[in-house]
Amino acid sequence: MSSALAEVRPAGRAPRPRARRPAASTVLGPVVLVLALAGGWQLMASLSDSTLLPDVGEVASAVGTILENGALSALRTTIVRVLLGFSLAFAVAIAAGLLMARSTWARAVLEPAVLIGLTVPGLVWALLAVIWFGLAQTGPVLAVALSAAPALVLNVYQGARAVDPGLIEMAHVFRFNRRVRLTRLWLPALVPFLLSGARLGLSLSWKVIVLVEMFGASEGVGYELNTAFSNQDVAGVLAWTIVFGAAMALIEYGLLRTVERRVTRWRKEAIV
Amino acid sequence: MSVALEGVSKAFPGRQVLDAFSLRIEPGELVALVGASGCGKTTILNLLAGLERPDAGTVRVAGEDGAPLRLGVVFQQPRLLDWASVRENVALASRDTAVAERMLREVGLGEHLDAFPTTLSGGQRQRAAVARAFSIDPELVLLDEPFSALDELTARRLRVQLQQLWLDRPRTGVLVTHNPLEAAFLADRIYVLGSRPARIVAEHVVTAPRPRSPEDEEFFRLHASIVAAL
Repeated sequence: MSSALAEVRPAGRAPRPRARRPAASTVLGPVVLVLALAGGWQLMASLSDSTLLPDVGEVASAVGTILENGALSALRTTIVRVLLGFSLAFAVAIAAGLLMARSTWARAVLEPAVLIGLTVPGLVWALLAVIWFGLAQTGPVLAVALSAAPALVLNVYQGARAVDPGLIEMAHVFRFNRRVRLTRLWLPALVPFLLSGARLGLSLSWKVIVLVEMFGASEGVGYELNTAFSNQDVAGVLAWTIVFGAAMALIEYGLLRTVERRVTRWRKEAIV
Repeated sequence: MSVALEGVSKAFPGRQVLDAFSLRIEPGELVALVGASGCGKTTILNLLAGLERPDAGTVRVAGEDGAPLRLGVVFQQPRLLDWASVRENVALASRDTAVAERMLREVGLGEHLDAFPTTLSGGQRQRAAVARAFSIDPELVLLDEPFSALDELTARRLRVQLQQLWLDRPRTGVLVTHNPLEAAFLADRIYVLGSRPARIVAEHVVTAPRPRSPEDEEFFRLHASIVAAL
């Protein structure tokens, strides 16, 4: 009988966590990737012998140069803008996503907005935000918020729809107040969806912030990229890309992974 | 205290579950509703818990002064927050950590106060759910097939424990079950429900004094007559 197969699944509701990977591959994997990329690049550069393809040594020294000449301040400016815009998007998305899940009216109104928001290119958000709000802090922050919000709203909405209705009934019967329902039921249940939304939203944010800053900001990574581009400094463009990418990876691995480990602690303990 | 359904009708798409159904629960009694799956007994409990609204008729769950009763509900599934410790799960309902801990000790979970529900067995989780229902000092306890998802040995232990809780703090209660022996062991009064729409086809008063033994012969006689009525 087919039901016998279904019975094999463990009864617990929590999905079984993935097996822990050996530490060696976790650490060495990225190193292997970087070495392969650098090797390939070096091969390409030496074969083409063009000024448009600086070799690994030149790019490395350009990285050194920008790190000595205030790269950290440009990075800080850009990252602050991203984090501000992203936090704004996050707060709006939680409210809008929960509203969509709980009210058919909110869903009818907001669903098309989210779908349109998802299809609007980041470039358009960047242009509009700069036109309307200028290049001081508001424009860049809003451009980031506008490009990250739709994906986040969709994730929160889907997460809220997946919350066990039995728990909602339980919270109703035991008269949990609004605050307890939000902080102890909805938000923890949404955590996996918030994390995947955060990944997607952050990756969109990085792309948009660089665009905004290229339009004429006087500081930030986009501004520096634009300067290097204007000076036909290919090594500089690559160096800024590498430094920026490294900072993003640090945030993804350092910040998001730590948050994830902390808030899903109960899942880990379940396998002991 | 007044706990009653009066002329209640309730339909779900494609089926009339209750049609002018009436039921009165006497204060201080533990009443069991026994019936086959899908006969509408869980709907009755959901109406009493305020989780469903009747299409017609009145649902009365109120104290003498008309104030709503404190409801302790035990669902078929434990319905615990997986991301909160057992202690916090109970304390969120009782709003008092000391009371939560006392109840958890009483049901034998004193060693597991900080455990997450996913680390516990099914029986332990359901005990935490029972502790949660009693931790709010409920005026009315609603039990929806509370032990039917457990293996028989565990279910039996939990029934004995529930009886002890009832002896220590007598309450008004409604137990929904498809298990006639469980109804006979726990309840003061048993209504046997027929299906579609639900109606009371038999009523039994259980006179055996508590504490009862699950092996009491009266239960097996009752069991036979309930099955006959079904």
